[in-house]
Amino acid sequence: MTTLDPVTFSVLWGGLLSAASEMGVTLSRTAYSAAVREGLDYSTALFDADGLMIAQGDYSPGHLGSMAFTVRKVLEIYPRETMKPGDAILLNDSGIGSGHLPDFFMISPIHFDNALIGFAVNCAHHVDVGGSGAGSQVIQGIQDNYQEGIRFLPTRCYAGGEPIADIFRVIAANVRQPEKVIGDLRAQVNANTTGARRMVELALVHGLAALQGAMAEILARSEVQMRAAISRIPAGVYSFEDCLDDVGPGTEPVVAKVTVTVADGTITVDWAGSGPQREAGLNSYLHYTYAYTIAAVKSVTLPTAPQNDGVIRTIQIKAPEGSFFNPRRPAACGGRATISHRIYEVVLGALAQAVPDRVMAANSHFFNPNLGGVDPRTGKQFVCYELIIGGIGGRPGKDGEEALASPWNAANIPIEIQESSNPILVERFGFIADSGGPGRQRGGCGLRKDMRVLADRVDFYNLGDRALFAPYGLFDGLPGTKAATLLDPGAKGQRRLHSKGSYRLKRDQVISWRTAGAGGYGDPLERPVALVERDVKSGFVTIPRARTDYGVVINPKTLAVDGTRTDALRLKRRKARSKPRQRETARA
Amino acid sequence: MGYRVGIDVGGTFTDFALYDDVAGRLSIGKVLTTPQDPSIAVLQGLDELTQKIGIAAGDLTDAIHATTIATNTVITRSGPKTALLTTEGFRDVLIIARQKRWELYDNSIDKPVPVVPRQYIWEVPERMLHDGTIRRKLNETAVRSAARAMIKAGIKAVAICFLHSYANPAHERRAAEIVRKTSPELLVTISSEVSPIYREYERASTTTLNAYLMPAVSAYVGRIEAGLASRDFKRKLFIMQSNGGVAIPEIVARFPIRIIESGPAAGVLTAARYAESAGTSNIMSFDMGGTTAKLCLIENGRPALTGSFEVDMVRLKKNSGLPINIPAIDLVEIGAGGGSIARVDLGAIAVGPDSAGSDPGPICYGRGGTEPTVTDADLLLGYLNADYFLGGRMRLDAAAARRGIERQVAEPLKMDTIAAAWGMHEVVTAQMAQAARVVSVGKGKDPRHFAFIPFGGAGPVHGARLARMLGCPRIVFPHGAGVESAIGLLMAEPAFDLARTRITALGRDTLVEINEAFKDLEAQGRAQLSACGIGADGRIRRSADMRFAGQGYEINVSLPDGPYRAGDVDRLSRAFFDAYAATYGDRAFDRKDAVEIVHFRITASSPVPAFKLEGAAADGSDGAHALKGSRRVYFPETNGFTDCPVYDRYRLRAGDSFPGPAVVEERESTVVILPDSRARVDRDGNIVVDLAG
Repeated sequence: MTTLDPVTFSVLWGGLLSAASEMGVTLSRTAYSAAVREGLDYSTALFDADGLMIAQGDYSPGHLGSMAFTVRKVLEIYPRETMKPGDAILLNDSGIGSGHLPDFFMISPIHFDNALIGFAVNCAHHVDVGGSGAGSQVIQGIQDNYQEGIRFLPTRCYAGGEPIADIFRVIAANVRQPEKVIGDLRAQVNANTTGARRMVELALVHGLAALQGAMAEILARSEVQMRAAISRIPAGVYSFEDCLDDVGPGTEPVVAKVTVTVADGTITVDWAGSGPQREAGLNSYLHYTYAYTIAAVKSVTLPTAPQNDGVIRTIQIKAPEGSFFNPRRPAACGGRATISHRIYEVVLGALAQAVPDRVMAANSHFFNPNLGGVDPRTGKQFVCYELIIGGIGGRPGKDGEEALASPWNAANIPIEIQESSNPILVERFGFIADSGGPGRQRGGCGLRKDMRVLADRVDFYNLGDRALFAPYGLFDGLPGTKAATLLDPGAKGQRRLHSKGSYRLKRDQVISWRTAGAGGYGDPLERPVALVERDVKSGFVTIPRARTDYGVVINPKTLAVDGTRTDALRLKRRKARSKPRQRETARA
Repeated sequence: MGYRVGIDVGGTFTDFALYDDVAGRLSIGKVLTTPQDPSIAVLQGLDELTQKIGIAAGDLTDAIHATTIATNTVITRSGPKTALLTTEGFRDVLIIARQKRWELYDNSIDKPVPVVPRQYIWEVPERMLHDGTIRRKLNETAVRSAARAMIKAGIKAVAICFLHSYANPAHERRAAEIVRKTSPELLVTISSEVSPIYREYERASTTTLNAYLMPAVSAYVGRIEAGLASRDFKRKLFIMQSNGGVAIPEIVARFPIRIIESGPAAGVLTAARYAESAGTSNIMSFDMGGTTAKLCLIENGRPALTGSFEVDMVRLKKNSGLPINIPAIDLVEIGAGGGSIARVDLGAIAVGPDSAGSDPGPICYGRGGTEPTVTDADLLLGYLNADYFLGGRMRLDAAAARRGIERQVAEPLKMDTIAAAWGMHEVVTAQMAQAARVVSVGKGKDPRHFAFIPFGGAGPVHGARLARMLGCPRIVFPHGAGVESAIGLLMAEPAFDLARTRITALGRDTLVEINEAFKDLEAQGRAQLSACGIGADGRIRRSADMRFAGQGYEINVSLPDGPYRAGDVDRLSRAFFDAYAATYGDRAFDRKDAVEIVHFRITASSPVPAFKLEGAAADGSDGAHALKGSRRVYFPETNGFTDCPVYDRYRLRAGDSFPGPAVVEERESTVVILPDSRARVDRDGNIVVDLAG
């Protein structure tokens, strides 16, 4: 090991972390698409010269967890010595990248004194990469990856600091919104320029040897710390199983089963027993399975420590080839974001048996639909990328937070931005009362968003889940309500749409998304009555459900708790169920 | 012409600077802050100071005030019941917020809590579209019944925020009229006046905070005005706003959100005032207190502004606070102050953002602090004098500080205790250097062209080291340590930053709209200036937030005065290209791409009378007359502890010059002069240090 002093080491580590996060600021500030600049669907990181991830900006776990593996594969195609200053490699291959074509990676070598010292890497979700439907996340009717859009294996797109125009012409010709896609790719180059500049500055100020020593040290120490954290998890074998509703209208559920083995300071997460790969745009390529498995393990071990290759390498992940969680090419995968929560929650469900005080119940889930067509105001193609994100599950000691992204880290798209860019009108956006799973700590509520289309023919590709399998509760907490998508709610022709269906809409039709409610944590009869009263006053829980779910009697006039009747009711409830009591939650 | 007074309320002290602009004489005063009602200390201290110099409050021509009342009201959530009236269907926008996590993997995080709870949000039928057309008429009956319900619920202030009101404020204005008529006791504010900028959550957050602050701030300002009036003060009271400009109480009562960063803004203005000593008007201001450090870049005498910031953040993490879309001096604030706690994490020293604050404070305060802080390290390294902290009012316990650092930092790292203390000092300084790079290099500004002005209790201790890391060529340690911000207030000018969102392509055929937008804003700006009694002196500067068509974020570009003609279009786009290239590099874009203006902005301001102190004559000594002794002080340049002369700042005279290493003690702080540099005292008593190459 080097003779790096602790002070220089601290300074270099801080410098690398802030550089990685500054890359993200540059990316979003110069981006064109709503997905990147509002949804913040991108990630950034710095790697060492061997292609090991050293520092990441805190953006999307789905990208970040994949990225560590992506760069190694890129180096197999473009060995280090072939990378020249000013080069950039792009790729969106689902197997090498983060599991679906809209995610474009950009990898730029960083040179100092003509030597390669590292890589600046970022990944951004592009609003469209061609394929069968607007937004390139269609599920229904997709048999393979070739229907899902343009595909790049690692390909040099900048040489000597100059864009290779041929590549960008090919991309522009194959996507629905070329100006946004090309603009975002340029933003990705800007982000890497920022990252490279910062790493070079660190080498200049502290010397290359110190920088390289620090990078090695970061990995070594992170690994030690992570192994120590893993060894604090009680040893054992923990299994959990849940289901993804289906893979499109009229299809069977996907079984998501995991076995987590903790022993001798190691952790192995095995997806054996899960369902096979499917013929729909939904499969989870291995990198994506890695990404959310890692995120779940990290959340119970070192939730606030920086993530890097040293952390990641401590987690062994297996998934049988040909399974839904490790499909063979050319499995289709456009809508794979839907599975992110299930990967995370199934791992967390298993870990709940080992570390009950560090997990949470299942999340609300989300919708990530795309709408496309011709905008009558401009005569041009539009792609409207939406994100409707519910709350998180009940937690030890506190309720599931309302309307908070988890486990991924996206933001919603402001209504005022969505309406100025697309021919749509949002008619409603708010919480669904009584949807949060009852528990001592209540799950977050589901969210409802209603959107009217203002163009003649609009293609709508839905992307959601939890319409059939509700988000689970933990330790006697109850599941949240299930999700639904309605067309023209309240009107004569109201009908239910499938969470993963494709539809053609007419002008003035209204789509209403209702996410599931998140699961509760702990016995709802143990929930402090003051919190139930607060929920009723805030409108998150109605008076009848306060009674049925929590055994709390609320006076409808004053909205105050009737203490005497509440005590009596709770006592009666406890007695009634104390006999042959079922302590089962989800399918642990 | 007469007496002007600057009054700055801080956490511990309320500071006064009184300037006699006929005699060019400055007097300063200091009293303990009265946290329950800060106006008590303001008036009491004013009385003491005016009596001391033998004038009456009625002799004052201006009183300029910086206050923390707004920030404290939000942080302690001590405002009254506040309501939000919004578009039907969108009650929850404020609570849903933007949903982004501020810690990626930590499931225990909570979102910032809005100042309006869900049960105080009322909806009314109405709907505007993004282009300002009305889709659904305002239901006035619903507004009336909501206004009545608010009174029943005990609401004191209401924010009205409708979708797309930045494009057409008609419904918000009408609703405000109705609420005022139905429930005259309610204070009302509308988003199209507070912050007519798109993105509904951020606008609602800004407007609800404004409503929440109205009762407390107007009552506070009212008490000060009444107190001044009872002392025969007949002139105008001015309050410092977050943008570094001052405003009259009437405007502050309507837009209290504009004063949320009042105190920090005053600090930055103070730094700007040292341009003459610094020999440049390009300045980096560095204010390091007990809990945080704040950095700001001042170019050509004007601090950089930002269009949005957050209040009540957790550990200063982005997205952990409530967003405010109001122009404010662009400060980067990091959790690095004298009280910041050091710990060992993965074999590295980490400092902050947790702070021991002033209670219990660092270990060496001897008030129960058990975790080693930056101040403890500074004491061990000899930078601080255990017997002359706060002018000797507090004795520091060096032995306890040493034990704390030894046990909690040195031993886990198997380091020498002094090396560990030095590590803490350097790590915290490096963190500040990173923050400084974000505001400088990160925005295309080279720190080597900026003079460095450190202040605050810990600023002068770390200033020289930080300036050296950044490559700033000159440091000015200002005279009058504890009261710089009050002095800075004397330099403040009335200034209003007004903005409006109207997405407009930049081109010949949109010039009419562009000219129109600026004309409207300028009329509003003139009106606010004239409310402050400013007529022909008033000056309006234009800028616009511009972007390439299709992007989502803009950069602010200064624009020439208008009206513009067809020939000006190229000039305007060139101004944008230059600004874009300065921020992101000149290869980051294509000059052929279409450009649009998103937010039109103006700054309406008025120059203040020149502020000039009578400097002392330089007598050019070596400062020996101010030597109070020497002590062992640690510098890596001298390979460890060295005998270092200690000077008494109050005995130094203009023209004195001496080499580093040296320590200069004053009551509220200690100036550390590094080896290989030379200090001189200028005519105004500031210590100027030029760093070698």
